Amino acid sequence: MNAKVFGVELADELRGIVREPAALFFSIVMPVAFFALFVSLFGKLGSGGLSAGTTMLTTFGAFGVISVVLMNPGIGVAADRERGWLRAKQVSAVPIGVTLSAKVVASLPYAAGVLVAMTATAAITGALDAPVPALLRILGVLLLGALPFALLSLAIGFQVGTGAAAAVLNAVLIPSAVLSGLWMPLEIMPAFFADVARFLPTYHLARLALAQLTGAPALAHALVLLGTTIVAAALAAVSYRHARS
Amino acid sequence: METVLEVRGARHDYGATRALDGVDLDVGAGECVALLGPNGAGKTTLVNLVVGLLPAKEGRIRVCGGDPRVAATRRRLGVVQQSLGFPTTLKVGELVTGAAVRAGVPRSAAGPVLAELDLTDLAGRRAVKLSGGQRQRLQLAMALVADPRLLVLDEPTAGLDLTARRRFWQLLAQRRERGTGVLLTTHLVEESSAVADRVVVLGRGRVLASGTPDELVARLPDRTVIARTALGRTRLEALPGVVSVRADGEHVHLGTRAPEALLRVLLAEDPGLADLRVESAGLAEAVAGLVERGAA
Ligand SMILES: Nc1ncnc2c1ncn2[C@@H]1O[C@H](COP(=O)(O)OP(=O)(O)OP(=O)(O)O)[C@@H](O)[C@H]1O
Ligand SMILES: [Mg+2]
Repeated sequence: MNAKVFGVELADELRGIVREPAALFFSIVMPVAFFALFVSLFGKLGSGGLSAGTTMLTTFGAFGVISVVLMNPGIGVAADRERGWLRAKQVSAVPIGVTLSAKVVASLPYAAGVLVAMTATAAITGALDAPVPALLRILGVLLLGALPFALLSLAIGFQVGTGAAAAVLNAVLIPSAVLSGLWMPLEIMPAFFADVARFLPTYHLARLALAQLTGAPALAHALVLLGTTIVAAALAAVSYRHARS
Repeated sequence: METVLEVRGARHDYGATRALDGVDLDVGAGECVALLGPNGAGKTTLVNLVVGLLPAKEGRIRVCGGDPRVAATRRRLGVVQQSLGFPTTLKVGELVTGAAVRAGVPRSAAGPVLAELDLTDLAGRRAVKLSGGQRQRLQLAMALVADPRLLVLDEPTAGLDLTARRRFWQLLAQRRERGTGVLLTTHLVEESSAVADRVVVLGRGRVLASGTPDELVARLPDRTVIARTALGRTRLEALPGVVSVRADGEHVHLGTRAPEALLRVLLAEDPGLADLRVESAGLAEAVAGLVERGAA
Protein backbone atom coordinates (compact mmCIF):
# COMPACT_ATOMS: atom_id res chain seq x y z
CA MET A 1 0.00 0.00 0.00
CA ASN A 2 2.78 2.42 0.93
CA ALA A 3 4.39 2.33 -2.52
CA LYS A 4 1.09 3.35 -4.11
CA VAL A 5 0.60 6.10 -1.57
CA PHE A 6 4.14 7.33 -2.13
CA GLY A 7 3.36 7.37 -5.86
CA VAL A 8 0.31 9.58 -5.29
CA GLU A 9 2.19 11.91 -2.97
CA LEU A 10 5.05 12.17 -5.46
CA ALA A 11 2.66 12.79 -8.37
CA ASP A 12 0.98 15.61 -6.40
CA GLU A 13 4.34 17.20 -5.70
CA LEU A 14 5.55 16.90 -9.29
CA ARG A 15 2.29 18.36 -10.58
CA GLY A 16 2.79 21.23 -8.20
CA ILE A 17 6.23 21.90 -9.58
CA VAL A 18 5.28 21.43 -13.24
CA ARG A 19 2.09 23.52 -13.05
CA GLU A 20 3.64 26.37 -11.15
CA PRO A 21 7.20 26.38 -12.34
CA ALA A 22 8.08 30.01 -11.56
CA ALA A 23 9.82 29.30 -8.25
CA LEU A 24 11.71 26.36 -9.62
CA PHE A 25 12.61 28.21 -12.78
CA PHE A 26 14.75 30.57 -10.75
CA SER A 27 16.37 27.85 -8.69
CA ILE A 28 17.33 26.05 -11.94
CA VAL A 29 18.03 28.91 -14.29
CA MET A 30 20.05 31.03 -11.90
CA PRO A 31 22.78 28.47 -11.13
CA VAL A 32 22.92 27.24 -14.73
CA ALA A 33 23.24 30.80 -16.08
CA PHE A 34 25.91 31.54 -13.52
CA PHE A 35 27.75 28.41 -14.52
CA ALA A 36 27.49 29.27 -18.21
CA LEU A 37 28.99 32.69 -17.56
CA PHE A 38 31.93 31.41 -15.53
CA VAL A 39 32.61 28.45 -17.76
CA SER A 40 32.67 30.57 -20.90
CA LEU A 41 35.13 32.96 -19.23
CA PHE A 42 37.45 30.57 -17.40
CA GLY A 43 36.37 27.09 -18.46
CA LYS A 44 39.41 26.23 -20.53
CA LEU A 45 42.01 27.31 -17.99
CA GLY A 46 43.74 24.31 -16.50
CA SER A 47 44.32 23.48 -12.85
CA GLY A 48 45.93 20.28 -11.61
CA GLY A 49 45.42 18.38 -14.84
CA LEU A 50 41.71 19.17 -15.00
CA SER A 51 40.12 21.94 -17.02
CA ALA A 52 38.53 24.60 -14.86
CA GLY A 53 35.23 23.89 -16.60
CA THR A 54 35.27 20.33 -15.32
CA THR A 55 36.18 21.38 -11.78
CA MET A 56 33.45 23.98 -11.83
CA LEU A 57 30.98 21.23 -12.58
CA THR A 58 31.54 20.01 -9.02
CA THR A 59 31.36 23.42 -7.31
CA PHE A 60 28.56 24.98 -9.36
CA GLY A 61 26.91 21.57 -9.54
CA ALA A 62 26.89 21.41 -5.73
CA PHE A 63 25.49 24.92 -5.63
CA GLY A 64 22.75 24.12 -8.17
CA VAL A 65 21.65 20.94 -6.44
CA ILE A 66 21.70 22.54 -3.00
CA SER A 67 19.70 25.53 -4.16
CA VAL A 68 16.98 23.26 -5.60
CA VAL A 69 16.65 20.95 -2.59
CA LEU A 70 17.10 23.72 -0.06
CA MET A 71 14.39 25.96 -1.48
CA ASN A 72 11.68 23.57 -2.61
CA PRO A 73 10.71 21.20 0.20
CA GLY A 74 10.91 23.96 2.82
CA ILE A 75 8.89 26.55 0.98
CA GLY A 76 6.40 23.83 0.00
CA VAL A 77 5.93 22.67 3.57
CA ALA A 78 5.61 26.24 4.84
CA ALA A 79 2.92 26.94 2.24
CA ASP A 80 1.06 23.70 3.05
CA ARG A 81 1.17 24.56 6.71
CA GLU A 82 -0.14 28.08 6.16
CA ARG A 83 -3.09 27.03 4.06
CA GLY A 84 -3.99 24.16 6.40
CA TRP A 85 -3.21 21.48 3.83
CA LEU A 86 -0.60 19.93 6.09
CA ARG A 87 -3.35 19.23 8.64
CA ALA A 88 -5.31 17.41 5.96
CA LYS A 89 -2.25 15.20 5.43
CA GLN A 90 -1.83 14.72 9.16
CA VAL A 91 -5.37 13.43 9.63
CA SER A 92 -5.10 11.14 6.60
CA ALA A 93 -3.96 7.55 6.93
CA VAL A 94 -0.58 8.40 5.40
CA PRO A 95 2.35 8.49 7.81
CA ILE A 96 3.80 12.01 7.66
CA GLY A 97 7.23 10.60 6.76
CA VAL A 98 5.85 9.36 3.43
CA THR A 99 4.48 12.83 2.62
CA LEU A 100 7.75 14.53 3.50
CA SER A 101 9.90 12.02 1.62
CA ALA A 102 7.78 12.65 -1.47
CA LYS A 103 8.49 16.37 -1.12
CA VAL A 104 12.22 15.69 -1.00
CA VAL A 105 12.26 13.11 -3.80
CA ALA A 106 10.14 15.35 -6.05
CA SER A 107 12.88 17.95 -6.10
CA LEU A 108 15.55 15.44 -7.19
CA PRO A 109 14.60 15.31 -10.91
CA TYR A 110 15.05 19.05 -11.01
CA ALA A 111 18.37 18.84 -9.24
CA ALA A 112 19.41 16.25 -11.83
CA GLY A 113 18.15 18.60 -14.55
CA VAL A 114 20.43 21.33 -13.25
CA LEU A 115 23.41 18.99 -13.39
CA VAL A 116 22.60 17.75 -16.90
CA ALA A 117 22.19 21.34 -18.14
CA MET A 118 25.53 22.30 -16.60
CA THR A 119 27.28 19.27 -18.08
CA ALA A 120 25.83 20.09 -21.51
CA THR A 121 26.95 23.70 -21.17
CA ALA A 122 30.48 22.62 -20.28
CA ALA A 123 30.54 20.18 -23.20
CA ILE A 124 29.23 22.72 -25.70
CA THR A 125 31.83 25.28 -24.69
CA GLY A 126 34.51 22.64 -25.04
CA ALA A 127 35.49 22.87 -21.39
CA LEU A 128 34.54 19.33 -20.40
CA ASP A 129 37.22 16.68 -20.07
CA ALA A 130 35.95 13.96 -17.79
CA PRO A 131 34.97 10.36 -18.57
CA VAL A 132 31.27 9.50 -18.44
CA PRO A 133 31.57 7.18 -15.41
CA ALA A 134 33.14 10.02 -13.40
CA LEU A 135 30.33 12.34 -14.47
CA LEU A 136 27.75 9.78 -13.38
CA ARG A 137 29.50 9.40 -10.03
CA ILE A 138 29.38 13.17 -9.57
CA LEU A 139 25.67 13.12 -10.34
CA GLY A 140 25.09 10.32 -7.82
CA VAL A 141 27.21 11.91 -5.10
CA LEU A 142 25.56 15.31 -5.46
CA LEU A 143 22.02 13.94 -5.45
CA LEU A 144 22.66 11.68 -2.43
CA GLY A 145 24.58 14.41 -0.67
CA ALA A 146 21.62 16.73 -1.13
CA LEU A 147 19.69 14.90 1.61
CA PRO A 148 20.92 16.90 4.62
CA PHE A 149 20.06 20.13 2.82
CA ALA A 150 16.57 18.90 2.02
CA LEU A 151 16.08 18.00 5.70
CA LEU A 152 17.35 21.40 6.79
CA SER A 153 14.90 22.91 4.34
CA LEU A 154 12.02 21.01 5.97
CA ALA A 155 13.19 22.05 9.43
CA ILE A 156 13.01 25.71 8.44
CA GLY A 157 9.72 25.22 6.57
CA PHE A 158 8.09 23.91 9.76
CA GLN A 159 9.21 26.94 11.73
CA VAL A 160 8.38 29.98 9.62
CA GLY A 161 5.87 31.21 7.04
CA THR A 162 6.24 31.01 3.26
CA GLY A 163 7.72 34.46 2.74
CA ALA A 164 10.11 34.15 5.66
CA ALA A 165 11.11 30.63 4.58
CA ALA A 166 12.31 31.88 1.20
CA ALA A 167 14.28 34.68 2.86
CA VAL A 168 15.79 32.47 5.57
CA LEU A 169 16.72 29.73 3.12
CA ASN A 170 18.42 32.22 0.81
CA ALA A 171 20.23 33.71 3.79
CA VAL A 172 21.58 30.23 4.52
CA LEU A 173 22.31 29.34 0.90
CA ILE A 174 24.15 32.34 -0.50
CA PRO A 175 26.75 32.90 2.24
CA SER A 176 27.50 29.17 2.53
CA ALA A 177 27.96 28.99 -1.22
CA VAL A 178 30.40 31.91 -1.26
CA LEU A 179 32.31 30.78 1.82
CA SER A 180 32.61 27.22 0.51
CA GLY A 181 34.08 28.33 -2.79
CA LEU A 182 31.10 27.17 -4.81
CA TRP A 183 31.20 30.34 -6.93
CA MET A 184 34.80 31.49 -6.80
CA PRO A 185 37.47 28.85 -6.16
CA LEU A 186 38.81 28.95 -2.59
CA GLU A 187 42.33 29.03 -4.04
CA ILE A 188 41.88 32.63 -5.18
CA MET A 189 40.02 33.75 -2.05
CA PRO A 190 41.54 35.03 1.22
CA ALA A 191 42.79 32.20 3.46
CA PHE A 192 40.08 33.00 5.98
CA PHE A 193 37.48 31.54 3.59
CA ALA A 194 39.16 28.15 3.52
CA ASP A 195 39.30 28.12 7.34
CA VAL A 196 35.57 28.71 7.59
CA ALA A 197 34.71 26.42 4.69
CA ARG A 198 35.93 23.33 6.54
CA PHE A 199 33.00 23.74 8.91
CA LEU A 200 30.37 23.97 6.17
CA PRO A 201 28.59 20.92 4.72
CA THR A 202 28.31 22.78 1.41
CA TYR A 203 32.11 22.70 1.12
CA HIS A 204 32.29 19.00 1.90
CA LEU A 205 29.66 18.17 -0.71
CA ALA A 206 31.64 19.99 -3.42
CA ARG A 207 34.86 18.27 -2.31
CA LEU A 208 33.19 14.90 -2.32
CA ALA A 209 32.10 15.54 -5.91
CA LEU A 210 35.58 16.76 -6.87
CA ALA A 211 37.09 13.60 -5.40
CA GLN A 212 35.19 11.64 -8.07
CA LEU A 213 37.44 13.36 -10.63
CA THR A 214 40.72 13.54 -8.77
CA GLY A 215 40.56 10.33 -6.78
CA ALA A 216 41.38 12.33 -3.64
CA PRO A 217 40.39 10.76 -0.30
CA ALA A 218 36.65 11.20 0.17
CA LEU A 219 35.83 9.45 3.45
CA ALA A 220 36.14 12.52 5.69
CA HIS A 221 33.80 14.52 3.45
CA ALA A 222 31.27 11.68 3.37
CA LEU A 223 31.36 11.38 7.17
CA VAL A 224 30.79 15.10 7.66
CA LEU A 225 27.78 14.89 5.34
CA LEU A 226 26.47 11.85 7.18
CA GLY A 227 26.78 13.70 10.49
CA THR A 228 25.04 16.72 9.00
CA THR A 229 22.23 14.45 7.80
CA ILE A 230 21.69 13.10 11.32
CA VAL A 231 21.68 16.58 12.84
CA ALA A 232 19.38 17.94 10.12
CA ALA A 233 16.99 14.99 10.55
CA ALA A 234 16.83 15.66 14.29
CA LEU A 235 16.21 19.35 13.64
CA ALA A 236 13.46 18.51 11.16
CA ALA A 237 11.81 16.15 13.67
CA VAL A 238 11.94 18.70 16.51
CA SER A 239 10.68 21.36 14.16
CA TYR A 240 7.79 19.14 13.05
CA ARG A 241 6.78 18.52 16.68
CA HIS A 242 6.83 22.25 17.28
CA ALA A 243 4.59 22.83 14.25
CA ARG A 244 2.24 20.06 15.28
CA SER A 245 1.41 21.12 18.83
CA MET B 1 -24.75 -0.96 18.65
CA GLU B 2 -21.11 -1.02 17.63
CA THR B 3 -19.11 1.93 19.00
CA VAL B 4 -17.05 3.78 16.40
CA LEU B 5 -15.77 6.50 18.74
CA GLU B 6 -15.00 6.16 22.41
CA VAL B 7 -13.64 9.05 24.46
CA ARG B 8 -12.92 8.46 28.14
CA GLY B 9 -11.65 11.06 30.59
CA ALA B 10 -10.02 13.13 27.86
CA ARG B 11 -7.96 15.99 29.21
CA HIS B 12 -5.88 18.51 27.33
CA ASP B 13 -3.92 21.57 28.42
CA TYR B 14 -2.36 24.28 26.30
CA GLY B 15 0.34 25.43 28.69
CA ALA B 16 -1.58 26.66 31.73
CA THR B 17 -4.96 26.70 29.91
CA ARG B 18 -7.08 23.63 30.59
CA ALA B 19 -9.02 23.19 27.36
CA LEU B 20 -10.58 19.79 28.11
CA ASP B 21 -11.22 18.52 31.60
CA GLY B 22 -12.26 14.88 31.66
CA VAL B 23 -14.61 14.48 28.72
CA ASP B 24 -16.50 11.26 28.01
CA LEU B 25 -18.21 10.75 24.67
CA ASP B 26 -19.39 7.85 22.51
CA VAL B 27 -20.55 7.69 18.93
CA GLY B 28 -22.20 4.50 17.74
CA ALA B 29 -22.33 3.16 14.19
CA GLY B 30 -24.85 5.16 12.21
CA GLU B 31 -25.31 7.64 15.01
CA CYS B 32 -24.98 11.42 14.66
CA VAL B 33 -23.71 13.34 17.68
CA ALA B 34 -23.61 17.14 17.67
CA LEU B 35 -21.09 18.97 19.80
CA LEU B 36 -22.39 22.31 21.00
CA GLY B 37 -20.96 25.00 23.21
CA PRO B 38 -19.84 28.60 23.24
CA ASN B 39 -16.55 29.89 21.83
CA GLY B 40 -13.62 28.46 23.71
CA ALA B 41 -15.64 25.55 25.15
CA GLY B 42 -13.12 23.02 23.84
CA LYS B 43 -14.97 21.68 20.78
CA THR B 44 -12.09 22.06 18.33
CA THR B 45 -9.65 20.69 20.88
CA LEU B 46 -11.81 17.59 21.30
CA VAL B 47 -12.11 17.20 17.52
CA ASN B 48 -8.34 17.51 17.18
CA LEU B 49 -7.84 14.75 19.76
CA VAL B 50 -10.33 12.52 17.97
CA VAL B 51 -8.65 12.91 14.56
CA GLY B 52 -5.19 12.38 16.02
CA LEU B 53 -3.84 15.90 15.54
CA LEU B 54 -3.25 16.37 19.28
CA PRO B 55 -2.20 13.85 21.93
CA ALA B 56 -4.52 13.46 24.93
CA LYS B 57 -2.63 14.51 28.04
CA GLU B 58 -4.82 12.09 29.94
CA GLY B 59 -7.59 9.71 29.04
CA ARG B 60 -8.34 7.40 26.18
CA ILE B 61 -9.47 8.02 22.62
CA ARG B 62 -10.44 5.07 20.42
CA VAL B 63 -11.65 5.19 16.83
CA CYS B 64 -13.02 1.77 15.89
CA GLY B 65 -10.96 0.41 18.76
CA GLY B 66 -7.70 1.97 17.52
CA ASP B 67 -5.58 4.92 18.59
CA PRO B 68 -6.13 7.80 16.12
CA ARG B 69 -2.51 8.89 16.62
CA VAL B 70 -1.61 5.74 14.65
CA ALA B 71 -1.84 6.38 10.91
CA ALA B 72 -3.49 3.04 10.09
CA THR B 73 -6.42 3.79 12.44
CA ARG B 74 -7.18 6.93 10.48
CA ARG B 75 -8.12 4.85 7.45
CA ARG B 76 -11.49 4.46 9.19
CA LEU B 77 -11.80 8.21 9.62
CA GLY B 78 -13.18 10.91 7.33
CA VAL B 79 -12.53 14.49 8.35
CA VAL B 80 -13.99 17.79 7.17
CA GLN B 81 -11.96 20.64 8.56
CA GLN B 82 -13.29 24.07 9.20
CA SER B 83 -10.80 26.06 7.15
CA LEU B 84 -8.92 23.86 4.73
CA GLY B 85 -6.90 25.45 1.94
CA PHE B 86 -6.13 23.28 -1.06
CA PRO B 87 -2.83 23.32 -2.94
CA THR B 88 -3.08 25.81 -5.78
CA THR B 89 -1.99 23.28 -8.38
CA LEU B 90 -4.26 20.27 -7.83
CA LYS B 91 -7.57 19.52 -9.55
CA VAL B 92 -10.79 18.27 -7.98
CA GLY B 93 -10.58 14.81 -9.54
CA GLU B 94 -6.94 14.38 -8.53
CA LEU B 95 -7.70 15.33 -4.95
CA VAL B 96 -10.50 12.79 -4.60
CA THR B 97 -8.47 10.05 -6.32
CA GLY B 98 -5.54 10.91 -4.07
CA ALA B 99 -7.77 10.66 -1.01
CA ALA B 100 -8.91 7.21 -2.16
CA VAL B 101 -5.38 5.89 -2.59
CA ARG B 102 -4.21 7.43 0.69
CA ALA B 103 -7.00 5.64 2.51
CA GLY B 104 -6.15 2.34 0.82
CA VAL B 105 -9.12 1.96 -1.57
CA PRO B 106 -8.96 1.71 -5.39
CA ARG B 107 -8.79 4.88 -7.50
CA SER B 108 -12.06 3.84 -9.11
CA ALA B 109 -13.87 4.74 -5.87
CA ALA B 110 -13.49 8.41 -6.80
CA GLY B 111 -15.96 8.38 -9.72
CA PRO B 112 -19.13 7.47 -7.80
CA VAL B 113 -18.35 9.87 -4.94
CA LEU B 114 -17.73 12.74 -7.37
CA ALA B 115 -21.11 11.97 -8.91
CA GLU B 116 -22.80 11.67 -5.50
CA LEU B 117 -21.60 15.18 -4.62
CA ASP B 118 -22.35 16.72 -8.04
CA LEU B 119 -18.67 17.30 -8.66
CA THR B 120 -18.23 15.26 -11.85
CA ASP B 121 -18.37 18.32 -14.10
CA LEU B 122 -15.84 20.08 -11.92
CA ALA B 123 -13.36 17.19 -11.77
CA GLY B 124 -10.93 18.95 -14.12
CA ARG B 125 -11.01 22.26 -12.30
CA ARG B 126 -8.39 23.39 -9.82
CA ALA B 127 -9.72 23.19 -6.27
CA VAL B 128 -8.72 26.76 -5.47
CA LYS B 129 -11.05 27.96 -8.25
CA LEU B 130 -14.14 26.49 -6.57
CA SER B 131 -16.75 28.48 -4.67
CA GLY B 132 -16.94 28.08 -0.90
CA GLY B 133 -19.85 25.64 -1.07
CA GLN B 134 -18.18 23.60 -3.82
CA ARG B 135 -15.02 23.36 -1.74
CA GLN B 136 -17.04 22.10 1.18
CA ARG B 137 -18.50 19.41 -1.09
CA LEU B 138 -15.01 18.54 -2.29
CA GLN B 139 -13.84 18.08 1.28
CA LEU B 140 -16.82 15.86 1.96
CA ALA B 141 -16.08 13.83 -1.19
CA MET B 142 -12.50 13.34 0.01
CA ALA B 143 -13.75 12.33 3.44
CA LEU B 144 -16.36 9.90 2.08
CA VAL B 145 -14.39 8.25 -0.72
CA ALA B 146 -13.03 5.46 1.48
CA ASP B 147 -16.39 4.85 3.16
CA PRO B 148 -15.23 5.80 6.67
CA ARG B 149 -16.73 4.32 9.83
CA LEU B 150 -16.51 7.70 11.56
CA LEU B 151 -16.98 11.12 10.03
CA VAL B 152 -15.73 14.12 11.99
CA LEU B 153 -17.09 17.42 10.73
CA ASP B 154 -16.02 20.80 12.11
CA GLU B 155 -18.81 23.28 11.33
CA PRO B 156 -19.54 21.53 8.03
CA THR B 157 -22.47 23.62 6.87
CA ALA B 158 -20.98 27.04 7.59
CA GLY B 159 -21.19 29.02 4.35
CA LEU B 160 -23.64 26.66 2.61
CA ASP B 161 -26.91 27.97 1.20
CA LEU B 162 -30.20 26.39 2.19
CA THR B 163 -30.37 23.97 -0.75
CA ALA B 164 -26.77 22.86 -0.31
CA ARG B 165 -27.38 22.42 3.39
CA ARG B 166 -30.38 20.14 2.80
CA ARG B 167 -28.49 18.14 0.23
CA PHE B 168 -25.63 17.82 2.69
CA TRP B 169 -27.84 16.36 5.43
CA GLN B 170 -29.49 14.02 2.93
CA LEU B 171 -26.11 12.64 1.91
CA LEU B 172 -25.12 12.23 5.50
CA ALA B 173 -28.36 10.41 6.26
CA GLN B 174 -27.62 7.92 3.45
CA ARG B 175 -24.17 7.26 4.85
CA ARG B 176 -25.54 6.88 8.34
CA GLU B 177 -27.93 4.21 7.12
CA ARG B 178 -24.86 2.32 5.96
CA GLY B 179 -23.42 2.53 9.47
CA THR B 180 -21.16 5.58 9.37
CA GLY B 181 -21.07 7.40 12.71
CA VAL B 182 -20.92 11.20 12.68
CA LEU B 183 -19.43 13.66 15.16
CA LEU B 184 -19.99 17.28 14.23
CA THR B 185 -19.49 20.64 15.84
CA THR B 186 -21.84 23.47 15.10
CA HIS B 187 -23.12 26.77 16.36
CA LEU B 188 -26.46 26.20 14.64
CA VAL B 189 -28.33 24.79 17.58
CA GLU B 190 -31.66 24.36 15.81
CA GLU B 191 -30.02 22.58 12.90
CA SER B 192 -28.31 20.15 15.21
CA SER B 193 -31.58 19.37 16.94
CA ALA B 194 -33.04 18.48 13.56
CA VAL B 195 -30.25 16.17 12.39
CA ALA B 196 -28.49 14.83 15.48
CA ASP B 197 -29.51 11.77 17.46
CA ARG B 198 -27.71 13.15 20.45
CA VAL B 199 -26.44 16.54 21.50
CA VAL B 200 -23.43 17.00 23.77
CA VAL B 201 -23.03 20.43 25.31
CA LEU B 202 -19.47 21.43 26.22
CA GLY B 203 -18.55 24.36 28.43
CA ARG B 204 -15.10 25.17 29.78
CA GLY B 205 -13.79 21.80 28.75
CA ARG B 206 -16.48 19.76 30.50
CA VAL B 207 -19.61 17.99 29.32
CA LEU B 208 -22.46 20.06 30.74
CA ALA B 209 -25.22 17.88 29.39
CA SER B 210 -25.85 15.20 26.84
CA GLY B 211 -28.94 13.50 25.51
CA THR B 212 -31.37 13.53 22.64
CA PRO B 213 -32.45 17.02 21.59
CA ASP B 214 -35.90 16.29 23.07
CA GLU B 215 -34.44 15.12 26.37
CA LEU B 216 -32.37 18.26 26.68
CA VAL B 217 -35.32 20.49 26.01
CA ALA B 218 -37.47 18.52 28.47
CA ARG B 219 -34.91 18.79 31.23
CA LEU B 220 -34.57 22.47 30.59
CA PRO B 221 -36.80 25.50 30.64
CA ASP B 222 -39.48 25.42 27.96
CA ARG B 223 -40.43 29.08 28.30
CA THR B 224 -38.31 32.18 28.38
CA VAL B 225 -39.55 35.24 30.22
CA ILE B 226 -37.87 38.33 28.82
CA ALA B 227 -38.13 41.71 30.54
CA ARG B 228 -36.37 44.84 31.71
CA THR B 229 -36.09 44.72 35.47
CA ALA B 230 -34.37 46.48 38.34
CA LEU B 231 -33.91 43.21 40.23
CA GLY B 232 -30.37 41.94 40.65
CA ARG B 233 -29.10 38.59 39.42
CA THR B 234 -29.06 36.92 42.85
CA ARG B 235 -32.64 37.91 43.49
CA LEU B 236 -33.73 36.71 40.04
CA GLU B 237 -32.08 33.34 40.51
CA ALA B 238 -33.98 32.90 43.77
CA LEU B 239 -37.40 33.51 42.18
CA PRO B 240 -39.68 30.45 42.07
CA GLY B 241 -39.30 28.30 38.99
CA VAL B 242 -36.27 30.10 37.54
CA VAL B 243 -33.89 27.62 35.91
CA SER B 244 -31.55 30.01 34.14
CA VAL B 245 -30.76 33.70 34.10
CA ARG B 246 -29.13 35.33 31.12
CA ALA B 247 -28.41 39.00 30.66
CA ASP B 248 -28.90 40.36 27.15
CA GLY B 249 -28.26 44.11 26.98
CA GLU B 250 -30.92 45.84 29.07
CA HIS B 251 -33.05 42.71 29.20
CA VAL B 252 -32.83 39.52 31.18
CA HIS B 253 -33.87 36.13 29.87
CA LEU B 254 -35.32 33.90 32.57
CA GLY B 255 -35.67 30.24 31.68
CA THR B 256 -38.53 28.46 33.42
CA ARG B 257 -41.00 25.62 33.21
CA ALA B 258 -43.65 27.53 35.16
CA PRO B 259 -44.01 30.93 33.54
CA GLU B 260 -47.35 31.82 35.18
CA ALA B 261 -46.11 31.45 38.76
CA LEU B 262 -42.90 33.26 37.92
CA LEU B 263 -44.73 36.17 36.32
CA ARG B 264 -46.95 36.67 39.38
CA VAL B 265 -43.94 36.99 41.68
CA LEU B 266 -41.94 39.05 39.22
CA LEU B 267 -44.70 41.61 38.78
CA ALA B 268 -45.22 41.83 42.53
CA GLU B 269 -41.55 42.32 43.31
CA ASP B 270 -40.67 44.82 40.57
CA PRO B 271 -43.30 47.46 39.91
CA GLY B 272 -41.04 49.00 37.24
CA LEU B 273 -40.99 45.83 35.15
CA ALA B 274 -41.08 46.73 31.43
CA ASP B 275 -40.94 45.21 27.93
CA LEU B 276 -42.34 41.93 29.19
CA ARG B 277 -42.41 38.99 26.74
CA VAL B 278 -42.83 35.26 27.10
CA GLU B 279 -41.41 33.00 24.42
CA SER B 280 -41.18 29.30 24.01
CA ALA B 281 -37.58 28.19 24.57
CA GLY B 282 -35.95 26.18 21.86
CA LEU B 283 -32.78 24.17 22.14
CA ALA B 284 -30.77 27.34 21.69
CA GLU B 285 -32.19 28.77 24.90
CA ALA B 286 -31.72 25.44 26.62
CA VAL B 287 -28.06 25.35 25.68
CA ALA B 288 -27.51 28.97 26.67
CA GLY B 289 -29.11 28.24 30.05
CA LEU B 290 -26.88 25.22 30.54
CA VAL B 291 -23.74 27.10 29.69
CA GLU B 292 -24.66 29.96 32.03
CA ARG B 293 -25.14 27.53 34.87
CA GLY B 294 -21.95 25.68 33.96
CA ALA B 295 -20.02 28.92 34.11
CA ALA B 296 -21.50 30.03 37.42
N1 LIG C 1 -3.20 26.39 20.23
C1 LIG C 1 -3.66 26.86 21.40
N2 LIG C 1 -2.83 27.37 22.32
C2 LIG C 1 -3.28 27.83 23.49
N3 LIG C 1 -4.57 27.80 23.87
C3 LIG C 1 -5.46 27.30 23.01
C4 LIG C 1 -5.06 26.81 21.72
N4 LIG C 1 -6.16 26.39 21.08
C5 LIG C 1 -7.20 26.59 21.91
N5 LIG C 1 -6.79 27.15 23.06
C6 LIG C 1 -7.65 27.48 24.22
O1 LIG C 1 -8.32 26.30 24.62
C7 LIG C 1 -9.69 26.56 24.91
C8 LIG C 1 -10.60 25.73 24.03
O2 LIG C 1 -10.45 26.15 22.69
P1 LIG C 1 -11.18 25.46 21.44
O3 LIG C 1 -10.58 26.01 20.22
O4 LIG C 1 -11.14 23.98 21.63
O5 LIG C 1 -12.68 26.00 21.63
P2 LIG C 1 -13.95 25.83 20.66
O6 LIG C 1 -15.02 25.22 21.49
O7 LIG C 1 -13.57 25.14 19.42
O8 LIG C 1 -14.32 27.34 20.37
P3 LIG C 1 -14.96 28.01 19.01
O9 LIG C 1 -16.44 27.82 19.10
O10 LIG C 1 -14.59 29.45 19.19
O11 LIG C 1 -14.32 27.39 17.83
C9 LIG C 1 -9.85 28.07 24.76
O12 LIG C 1 -9.71 28.65 26.01
C10 LIG C 1 -8.72 28.46 23.84
O13 LIG C 1 -8.33 29.79 24.11
MG1 LIG D 1 -13.52 25.71 17.32
